[in-house]
Amino acid sequence: MGPSVLYHCPCLSTSPAPPPPHYPSSSHQFHPLHNLFFCEECDAVRCNRCVSVEVSTYYCPNCLFEVPSASVRAEKNRCARNCFSCPNCRNTLSVVSSDPPETSDTRLPTSINTSGEPPFFLYCNFCRWDSAEIGITFEKPTGLAAQLQRYEDSAPESLEFERLKEHFEPFLRASSLSSSVAVHAAHPGSAAHSHHLHSTSITAAASAALARDIPGVSKYNPVSRTASGRAHRDRTANKDEMPEYKSRVEIAFVGHGSGGGDAEVEYMRRLRQVQTVARLEQRWGNSWAGSLQIKDLKPLRIPLHSKRSKRCPTCTHILIKPEQKAQSVRYKIKLVAANYLPAISVTLPHLNKPTVTSDAAKRTLMKISPQLVDDGTTLQGLVAGKTYPFHLALTNPLYDPIQVRLSVQRVHVTAPTTNAGASPEKARRPPFAISLPTSHFPIAAFAEAWEYEDDEDMMVDDEDFGTGMRGRDKDGRGKTKTVGVLEKRANVTLIGGEVIIGKEARGSIKFNMLVTYTYRSDDPTPSEGDGDMPKNSKPPEVKTFAFYTVVDLGTIIPREEIRPELDT
Amino acid sequence: MPPIRDKFTIHSKAVVCQDVELKGDITIGSGTIIHPKATIFAIAGPIIIGSGCIIEESAIIVNRKKETMRIGDDNLFEIGSRIECPSIGNSNTISTRSRVHHTVSMGSYCVISPGVLLVPTEDEVLPDYTVVYGPSAERRTWSGRGKVQEADLRKKHADYLKETLPKFNRLRRGDGT
Ligand SMILES: [Zn+2]
Ligand SMILES: [Zn+2]
Ligand SMILES: [Zn+2]
Ligand SMILES: [Zn+2]
Repeated sequence: MGPSVLYHCPCLSTSPAPPPPHYPSSSHQFHPLHNLFFCEECDAVRCNRCVSVEVSTYYCPNCLFEVPSASVRAEKNRCARNCFSCPNCRNTLSVVSSDPPETSDTRLPTSINTSGEPPFFLYCNFCRWDSAEIGITFEKPTGLAAQLQRYEDSAPESLEFERLKEHFEPFLRASSLSSSVAVHAAHPGSAAHSHHLHSTSITAAASAALARDIPGVSKYNPVSRTASGRAHRDRTANKDEMPEYKSRVEIAFVGHGSGGGDAEVEYMRRLRQVQTVARLEQRWGNSWAGSLQIKDLKPLRIPLHSKRSKRCPTCTHILIKPEQKAQSVRYKIKLVAANYLPAISVTLPHLNKPTVTSDAAKRTLMKISPQLVDDGTTLQGLVAGKTYPFHLALTNPLYDPIQVRLSVQRVHVTAPTTNAGASPEKARRPPFAISLPTSHFPIAAFAEAWEYEDDEDMMVDDEDFGTGMRGRDKDGRGKTKTVGVLEKRANVTLIGGEVIIGKEARGSIKFNMLVTYTYRSDDPTPSEGDGDMPKNSKPPEVKTFAFYTVVDLGTIIPREEIRPELDT
Repeated sequence: MPPIRDKFTIHSKAVVCQDVELKGDITIGSGTIIHPKATIFAIAGPIIIGSGCIIEESAIIVNRKKETMRIGDDNLFEIGSRIECPSIGNSNTISTRSRVHHTVSMGSYCVISPGVLLVPTEDEVLPDYTVVYGPSAERRTWSGRGKVQEADLRKKHADYLKETLPKFNRLRRGDGT
């Protein structure tokens, strides 16, 4: 894995700063840019961990039928049309008819009935498995799913589950009723109420389920003691009335075909050919634990997929909403962070393998890299005690130029120790120093490819920004610099940085980097005259946004691994 | 190695497009269809292809051995497949971009699924109805159910090509005729 940059989502946390990158809690707070959303209302990054999710459609990935949610339950989350997956290779099965009876004279053209010869069976075009092998055939080529579901529903586990549901049904109904009453009584017009106002029935149901009391656990309720007290008494009564549940079959005696038990042990003991055992991925899609043997595998109705909308957890505005139709791959609403935050990719020029995603950035790097080709003395990697340059390519997705400032988050790290008695904990902390340009630098606006007339236009005019970067462009001795703005091309600016690795350093070079950028606000300014604004009247409103990233340059190669016999 | 001497024997009812690369001693049977851009190389020994076979674009059939390579009837070689088997029976399907090494001989009604790489180090014979599929070239035996319908479909496929291909391609004739 090459060097990487991940973006931070604070996930409603009160402190906007992420934990230091060597903390275990760091890893789950950072995400690739393409996984993040952006809420315009809250002006904040949102990730898949903090958004609230709603299903907008259920559909079959094979026939693309949109299944109404009522049928999803009844049909047990699987396609009820003619969509089945091969139990052997999980390819889609097709319904085929039997061959006509073979004539003795093979030279004669066999007449094949167009409507097909019964019995019909399911057939895999890929591995040539067919359902007749396990004795499943059909008189008609229609309504196969219903027939298979009848079989699925007759599985002992399925029957048991149905019975369990029946058993708990009255209790669940009573308790959900009383708890929803309790919730409303406890918080009249408070947070719960306002929450219900702008959330859908699904989230309301979910929150009611969460607010439901757990039998035997007393609920903390600061307000209205009387209402909840009464409800609690009711439930205790319910709990006492509940009859004991007796299972139909003892699981210990469930033999072959339903997983586990002595029969399976016996089968494994007599096993001669490992090919007769069904692999985990062949059994994974089953609703119930089944037999271990390949010959017992049954065709499965294809599991449904869902399309989901996601909402901002604070303002409940929709961040992403797919089009309803199963065939469509478009979105009605799509507020993704990649359209708001600059994309950053990192490369180590001495490794000479750019891992950049955008084409523009790649082209830029190709031009830069040849000057930095290593002279053979550097090792392929990051060796302790050495200094390496690294490149950050920042791509602006906005239609306006932005000003960016990078700063490395300070981490309290124990100073590098050189004495041999250093504790392993200290040695594991990677002592390294990062240098990055400290001043603002510009990134030009994003423009569609056809907007560039020639190469000159793609270069950004520094005068427009007046940031005084020019003085630092060359360091006087004609040597190419490593830290600073290396190149500006189209909407990509390439920044050079440097990492100095301590002699005894170990671990990975990972640091948090705060990215602050200012952009011209699109908010309609109360303008004097609708047409073109006079240039000198008022500067356009400028806004600032900041976000954290974690930059991972790679693992440090300890010095002793390179020259092991040096000290002996 | 002596230079390869070309000798093409093509049945008058075979459809072999002009843009097919042939090298060495090759015999092509009646009703066999060879698409343009297919390659048949009899590098060492000759290649004999039976009747009713379909060899699609960029399929490659190579004989590296001294012995004659025999391909039976009604076999389908799909796009981009590469076959070096010393012998192949009848009604086999060699699917798209699959590759079978010269160590493998094939019976009849075998299926090599798309993309399969079948390159055993030791010689072996695939029994009739063997199906080789998936990235790790797993094997199973086909029940044979549906083979009559499949044969019928292949025949229709060949009939259609026999009519269509000559309309858009020059055909190649054997040396004799
Ligand atoms: Zn989040
Ligand atoms: Zn379906
Ligand atoms: Zn299959
Ligand atoms: Zn929001």
